[in-house]
Amino acid sequence: MSDPNAHVLEMRDVAVHFGGRGGLFGASGQVVKAVNGVDLTIGRGETVALVGESGCGKSTLSNTIVGLQAPVSGSIRVGGEEVVGADRRKLNDIRRHVQMIFQDPALSLDPRSTIGATVGEPLKVRGVAKGAALKQRVGELLTQVGLRAEHADRYPHQFSGGQRQRVVIARALALEPGLVICDEPVSALDVSVRAQILNLLVALQKRTGVSYLFVSHDLSVVRHICDRVVVMYLGRFVEIADRATFFDNPKHPYTRALMSAVPQADPVVQRGKERYVLSGELPSPANIPSGCAFHTRCPLATEICSQVRPELTPRDDGARVACHHA
Amino acid sequence: MSVEPRPLLSVEKLTIEIGGAAVVDDVSFDVAPGRVMALVGESGCGKSLTSYAILGLLPAAAKQTGGRIRLDELELSALSEREFRKARGKDISIIFQEPSASLDPLTTVGSQIAAAYRTHNDVSQAEAYDKARQMLADVGIPDPDRRLHQYPFELSGGMCQRIMISIALICSPRVLVADEPTTALDVTIQAQILDLMKKLVSERGTAIVLITHDMGVVADIADDVAVMYAGRVAEIAGVHSLFAKPQHPYTALLLASVPTLDDLPKADLATIEGRVPTPDEFGAGCRFAGRCPLVTDKCRIEQPPLFDCGDGHRSACWHIDRMHEIVEVAA
Ligand SMILES: Nc1ncnc2c1ncn2[C@@H]1O[C@H](COP(=O)(O)OP(=O)(O)OP(=O)(O)O)[C@@H](O)[C@H]1O
Ligand SMILES: Nc1ncnc2c1ncn2[C@@H]1O[C@H](COP(=O)(O)OP(=O)(O)OP(=O)(O)O)[C@@H](O)[C@H]1O
Ligand code: SF4
Ligand code: SF4
Ligand SMILES: [Mg+2]
Ligand SMILES: [Mg+2]
Repeated sequence: MSDPNAHVLEMRDVAVHFGGRGGLFGASGQVVKAVNGVDLTIGRGETVALVGESGCGKSTLSNTIVGLQAPVSGSIRVGGEEVVGADRRKLNDIRRHVQMIFQDPALSLDPRSTIGATVGEPLKVRGVAKGAALKQRVGELLTQVGLRAEHADRYPHQFSGGQRQRVVIARALALEPGLVICDEPVSALDVSVRAQILNLLVALQKRTGVSYLFVSHDLSVVRHICDRVVVMYLGRFVEIADRATFFDNPKHPYTRALMSAVPQADPVVQRGKERYVLSGELPSPANIPSGCAFHTRCPLATEICSQVRPELTPRDDGARVACHHA
Repeated sequence: MSVEPRPLLSVEKLTIEIGGAAVVDDVSFDVAPGRVMALVGESGCGKSLTSYAILGLLPAAAKQTGGRIRLDELELSALSEREFRKARGKDISIIFQEPSASLDPLTTVGSQIAAAYRTHNDVSQAEAYDKARQMLADVGIPDPDRRLHQYPFELSGGMCQRIMISIALICSPRVLVADEPTTALDVTIQAQILDLMKKLVSERGTAIVLITHDMGVVADIADDVAVMYAGRVAEIAGVHSLFAKPQHPYTALLLASVPTLDDLPKADLATIEGRVPTPDEFGAGCRFAGRCPLVTDKCRIEQPPLFDCGDGHRSACWHIDRMHEIVEVAA
């Protein structure tokens, strides 16, 4: 990347909204505030986990980083280069350094291309390799993700969902990017395969210094793979902390509820643990509750919570938390 | 499995073939009232086919070629489609993974629940709606009166799954088969649904067959666990015994591959080399032989039966006495 000292990613006050502004449905449509005033920095070789419930804005944020979605405000720098407002050529260059692994492998593979062509495409397009060298590199990439070099001639439908996700990962890794955004990369995989992929992501990071933004709702996976954790609720960050601080001393009531909800694969631990079950579901981001957006479900909520939105504030151990009472 | 009441649901030597391959092979387990039996295993190991057979819902390509399934005295596998329709919903019900795919998008949820009730009960529409309203309250849906008149697309995934559960339970079946009921849901909603299932078991004595691949869910709710591998039961045991002392190499490796709280960050997780054989690759021997660190010639030639390891804990492995070696591999 252009400036070797720059952070891999630097986001300032990023907001992403859907609908409401002119367009086909005019101003009468409701505005969905999917991401609201988000700051995030990712260093080289760092893995930051982004956790939160379905619909809280994780994919929207990810799409915005790679330039698939335009923010309504804010700044996003990748390796020091501004993404927001960049022209197509610059965006194209930035994309080389930021790759994305999507949630649903079925949607990110072309059914008419062999997986060899799919995995090799970025290498070919960028002129990194061709001919026998390309074939060999594709074979290596496939082997790296637990497939076989001979699989290059097959089509996506000849693979299971888990195998298809490996193809997607192989393609994302092809250009050895600086930042890979992994949007629930292992959720669709079997446990034993999941472990292989997690090991692979870690090994690749150790070798190349790649950074990950790792979107997941599986906190045991997060705990395993990340250096830092960001918790998102209705488009805002509510807690940011180092891995150890986060897991040893979670502070935000939502974080604590999430932790209590993830079942541990140990019947003694799981049945003995303190339960902190949330009632209700995530409110609509088209109609975000006033004050602290979590107040409609929070067991600690008081009057101020529905009136004043708590800002992220630093705590003694370095964590930053947005809560009046935690 | 400690001392258990008489089984309510009994699956005996169930075999299901697709295109001549036994994709479910000699599978047996019992579930007593008020107990949760978890079927776990990797994608394609036959969990769903087993559950469809219990409900008489096997796809056309699949044939039950052996074994029987009993619900109390009722021989389910001998029922005609008409008789099965009578039993479904009333004696035995199923909930699927994708609630949105199994609900009718053009009908209000209230009318779908009421229709399920009227299938087995000769009551008026108004009575059926009362029953539906009560059911929605039981599964923890706030404001049931309003929800009854909504369409599936107006509800979240978690609510749709509760609607599915309401439909499955409205006639108070004695057995509930739940095929990955929480896989598509958020963890906070999953926790609510698991709590709801626990309540059913303790208050109504429902027997549950829970299909999942999430060992955390198993640890949370199961009484007994059958670990399936490539269509066969590899190991079956009480939940505590299974997690504390797995007696099959596959189970031990599977458990070791799940990240735990004691792991060092970014440490290598245990993995299982290779992949699950496809049905056309099933040989005469143990189906795990191609990936097993303990494999010997005997394993490749002869299928291991389920051996009793005491206390109802059974494992289909020729080399249970060498399990300590697996623990070393996994560590
Ligand atoms: N193109 C769009 N138009 C309108 N609303 C959208 C669009 N994309 C996302 N949204 C809404 O923005 C919110 C955030 O969605 P997003 O996909 O980012 O959530 P997520 O955290 O990734 O959820 P999941 O865990 O289900 O993937 C949701 O309410 C979603 O419905
Ligand atoms: N309708 C069908 N036609 C052909 N083969 C099928 C059909 N349904 C299932 N199979 C095959 O039967 C085997 C068992 O499938 P089953 O759906 O029971 O697996 P499962 O354990 O439920 O997997 P998953 O975790 O992916 O749901 C698989 O090899 C599958 O490919
Ligand atoms: S600010 Fe209030 S409502 Fe929000 S998380 Fe803290 S205690 Fe709960
Ligand atoms: S029978 Fe042999 S191959 Fe099969 S699990 Fe036991 S040791 Fe491994
Ligand atoms: Mg998403
Ligand atoms: Mg299934």
